[in-house]
Amino acid sequence: MCCSHNITEKDLQPGVQDASYLSRIKGMQFFDPHVHMTSRTTDDYQAMADAGVVALIEPAFWLGQPRTGVDTFRDYYSSLIGWERFRSSQFGIKHYCTIGLNSREANNEVLAEQVMEILPLFIYKEGVVGVGEIGFDDQTAAEEKYYRLQLELAREAGLPVQIHTPHRDKKRGTTRSMDIALEHGLDPAMVIVDHNNEETVKEVLDRGFWAAFTIYPFTKMGNERMVDIVKQYGTERIMVNSAADWGISDPLAVPKTAALMKEQGIADDAIKIVTYQNAIAAFGQSGQINEADFAAVKEIDQSQKFSGNTVLRGGQQPRIDKDSIIIR
Amino acid sequence: MSHFQPDRVLLEILKQNISDEAYSWLLEKSASGKVSFNTTFVTIPRKTGKKNLVITQSQQDLLAAYVPGFTVNHWLTDRLARVWLLLQADNSDKEKYVRQIENLFLAAEVNELVALYSALPLLAFPEVWTARCSEGIRSNIGDVLEAIMCRNPYPAAYLSDPAWNQLVMKAFFTEKPVEEIVGLDKRANKDLALILRDYAHERWAAHRTVNPQIWRCVGKFIDEALLPGIEKLTISENVFDREAAALACNDSSYTPAKQLLDTIPVLKSAIQSGTLTWDLLALKMKENVLQS
Repeated sequence: MCCSHNITEKDLQPGVQDASYLSRIKGMQFFDPHVHMTSRTTDDYQAMADAGVVALIEPAFWLGQPRTGVDTFRDYYSSLIGWERFRSSQFGIKHYCTIGLNSREANNEVLAEQVMEILPLFIYKEGVVGVGEIGFDDQTAAEEKYYRLQLELAREAGLPVQIHTPHRDKKRGTTRSMDIALEHGLDPAMVIVDHNNEETVKEVLDRGFWAAFTIYPFTKMGNERMVDIVKQYGTERIMVNSAADWGISDPLAVPKTAALMKEQGIADDAIKIVTYQNAIAAFGQSGQINEADFAAVKEIDQSQKFSGNTVLRGGQQPRIDKDSIIIR
Repeated sequence: MSHFQPDRVLLEILKQNISDEAYSWLLEKSASGKVSFNTTFVTIPRKTGKKNLVITQSQQDLLAAYVPGFTVNHWLTDRLARVWLLLQADNSDKEKYVRQIENLFLAAEVNELVALYSALPLLAFPEVWTARCSEGIRSNIGDVLEAIMCRNPYPAAYLSDPAWNQLVMKAFFTEKPVEEIVGLDKRANKDLALILRDYAHERWAAHRTVNPQIWRCVGKFIDEALLPGIEKLTISENVFDREAAALACNDSSYTPAKQLLDTIPVLKSAIQSGTLTWDLLALKMKENVLQS
């Protein structure tokens, strides 16, 4: 999520697109386990597909302004398992989601109560790979209450938990999030602690949790730092995501980080583990991820031809020539 | 609590296609009442998996005899299990029953929507679901549209003309296999013919192609206003257009249309000998797509 930061004049200059990094990761497949596609355009979907992203997880989150009623939560959750999943499939990307009440809106207790009532309707749905993103923002009592209730929900459902760690007072907030998860009897192997940095990673790994890193300009990790993390800590239980949303963020953060890792001498196997395999291992514990589906969603046109129906039957989106001024 | 015979056939097909464990689970859950109904509906794929159904010819015939046009061919196991479960809902209190099913629609993901719309021709109080069906046609999700439009006898049996016309128009617009629309010929009407004619002219004006099967819904209503479009079609470069023009003229009792058919004698005799029909044209178009 975007916040104020130290912007220099250089940061405000228009950028130049250089897609040469794509050649370095040609043929590689990526899984972005945290990206808010409802906030992104079709151009992003196409660029992600072109860069090798085959599957992603969209955690339920805060939409940038607070919701005022339970129905808008219901519609949002519905859109994650409905429209957005379909939209993604049109670009050949398999879309999963995690469902939960985010920490900011947990502070509206009247509404939070109503949201808790409808959550069980959604967490058992197909393609829901966890409860998330939940945890602390401001670290208030209300946040803690609904964090705990949702941990119980996840435990009952046997689903992984995706924990959002706070921007402010991050180190203590991360420790506290893990303490509470353990207190509720969760297996750390079922918990993905997100938005780590150099300060939090050691404890998260030492305690047996999954450590996710968000490559997000200005406010979270940069990918050069990410390369150093992998060099120092290896690949076990580490995964990379973009957390791209409505702020200045980059939906290509995972493939770009893979390209940078390759450039800086990290082995292909190791790159695959942190940009693809570990996310599947962690969230696959939901029983909802089947790698064969990644190929199936790509071949949507082909399979529909073979079943004898017309080609564009809900199939992939046709390409347009972006450099042409003619629009047909 | 079954209110239809087909659910016995559906259950028999299910038994053959899912594991014993999943079958027992489903029977047990369906008998345990309303509390677990929603969760059972949602959880089904985790138990049944998603496999292509194997169905015998006699089972297909039985289903078609109970509900003409209804088929579960091409369904996956989870879809059938969900539809079967819907038939077990207690319908002794109409209002409660309708609310229960409506609530499933409100929180449904794509595959659940597909199952729910597929079940429309089998649900109790069929007249209640027309608004829901019309709402489904407003969806932009391909699989949902197809579950309503294709091989589903509900719309033709219960939708009003305006809703039906919207379904057919949208099926062409979204490039669905229109030959699979149940009742396409039977529900043809003048309004629809005019809507489709205008749509074709719009597409032509934009230099876009038009599915020749559009004229399947137009033939019976050819008059002075509709004839020029058909005339244009008879001289199209595309053989499927010319064949569609011939078939449309053949469907018409309007004399100028009959005369127009005489100008394309090869196609006229193909129709008379039965080697050119709307269904065969649809088949040829499909094969053409496969080859392209």
